[in-house]
Amino acid sequence: MTASTVSIHHDHGHGGHGHVHLQYQPGLPLTRGKLIMWLFLSTEIMFFAALLGSYVVLRFGAAIWPKPHHVHLSEPIGAFNTFVLICSSVTIVLALEAARANKTGLAKAWMVLTLLLGALFLGVKGYEYQAKFSHGIYPMTPRSLIHERPDLYYGSAVRARLGEPAIIDKLKELDDTPAQNLSAAEVEARDTLKKVREAVAAPDQQAFDMAWVADKVMPLPGEGAHGGGHGAGHGLNDAFPWLRLPIVIPGGNMWASTYFLLTGFHAIHVLVGLIVFVVLLTFRLDRKRAGMIENAGLYWHFVDLVWIFLFPLLYLF
Amino acid sequence: MSDHGPITRPGETADDTLQHAHDDHEHGHGGVGKYLLVFAALCFLTTMSFFTYSEAWPWKDQPQVGWTFMMAVSCTKALLVILFFMHVLWEANWKYVLTIPAAMMALFLAIMLIPDIGFRNRMVSQERAVHMARPSDLELLQRAGAEANGATAH
Repeated sequence: MTASTVSIHHDHGHGGHGHVHLQYQPGLPLTRGKLIMWLFLSTEIMFFAALLGSYVVLRFGAAIWPKPHHVHLSEPIGAFNTFVLICSSVTIVLALEAARANKTGLAKAWMVLTLLLGALFLGVKGYEYQAKFSHGIYPMTPRSLIHERPDLYYGSAVRARLGEPAIIDKLKELDDTPAQNLSAAEVEARDTLKKVREAVAAPDQQAFDMAWVADKVMPLPGEGAHGGGHGAGHGLNDAFPWLRLPIVIPGGNMWASTYFLLTGFHAIHVLVGLIVFVVLLTFRLDRKRAGMIENAGLYWHFVDLVWIFLFPLLYLF
Repeated sequence: MSDHGPITRPGETADDTLQHAHDDHEHGHGGVGKYLLVFAALCFLTTMSFFTYSEAWPWKDQPQVGWTFMMAVSCTKALLVILFFMHVLWEANWKYVLTIPAAMMALFLAIMLIPDIGFRNRMVSQERAVHMARPSDLELLQRAGAEANGATAH
């Protein structure tokens, strides 16, 4: 798509003596920056189509997939973040309109607002990640505590964790604490922990016993009552955060891999957008800069677009 | 605008000319009112897809209905953002040159993955069959949870 049109301009006015100026025009009637931005966005469409397509394949090909509240996903928080991104799409478009009308102050104000909304999105995302991390949900070992099934491998993992020197010390400390120094919930949790220790040490473990252990360590919230948010989770891992016993979430590992990959790549895109806005804010946002703001806006709308698909796919499916 | 785009004047790059032409062209559309209307529509649609999560959603036992509904809502939202916020509605025909091939590639990418959906559960290695979770595991966990809760209630 290079020069398809040649414009011939006869310049008689300024002593050009009939020189013929030949100038190339781009094949597509748009500025170079915008053309590059659209080409870049085309590659981005394919990038996210591949990621989302793989997610759909893995999601529907899996024998079992965790429910959103099994993995401490909060639908209202996701919906709030969707709202934040939509708002930021409006503010960047208003910044462009203001710049085109040469209202530099107004353009800057909208741009700052866009930057703040983008930062808010990342902040909420960070809070959500923290909710996963605090429950031992990571995309990979060694930090990930997720086990797929409550089988004997799970039982031996719990036993191994309880046998670590640091945990043995902590357990001894807990056992020696007089009951009056603990809250009622802590005393109850201590008794449960004792039973869990016995269960994993027992020589004749059954799958059901391990399911019972998994339920005590981190119960999977049931449907209804405690639906979203942080689940009904009053497991041992919540009662004693230092414990960090292995947990069971059927399908949890694949879920964590896809969730962190998709939202992580999206978050990186948001971060890049924020950096672009910071750079743009150092300029006078007048009519001359409208092209730059438009290109940054195109990128930002694309980031919004990806989230429009990510939100229902990850939070509501 | 002529068929060949605006004529470039001497001393101006093609980009300058296009930028000016573009700026002049822009005044005919857009407008804060229109953007706010689109914004209201997007908020309404987000509420709609969130509606599938609420108690009032009537097709709880048929998740496919909800999925189809949400994808339809998402496509509508995407279309609104592309047409109005990305100004594609008001762009010249170059938009098809870039968007159609990209959309087709994206579509083919997704379609190429579809056979895997069928194969994934039919062809499972011995090792994976031992370690992968099955719906029975979830039932086991829920039964254990229910019994534990029953025990504390008594």
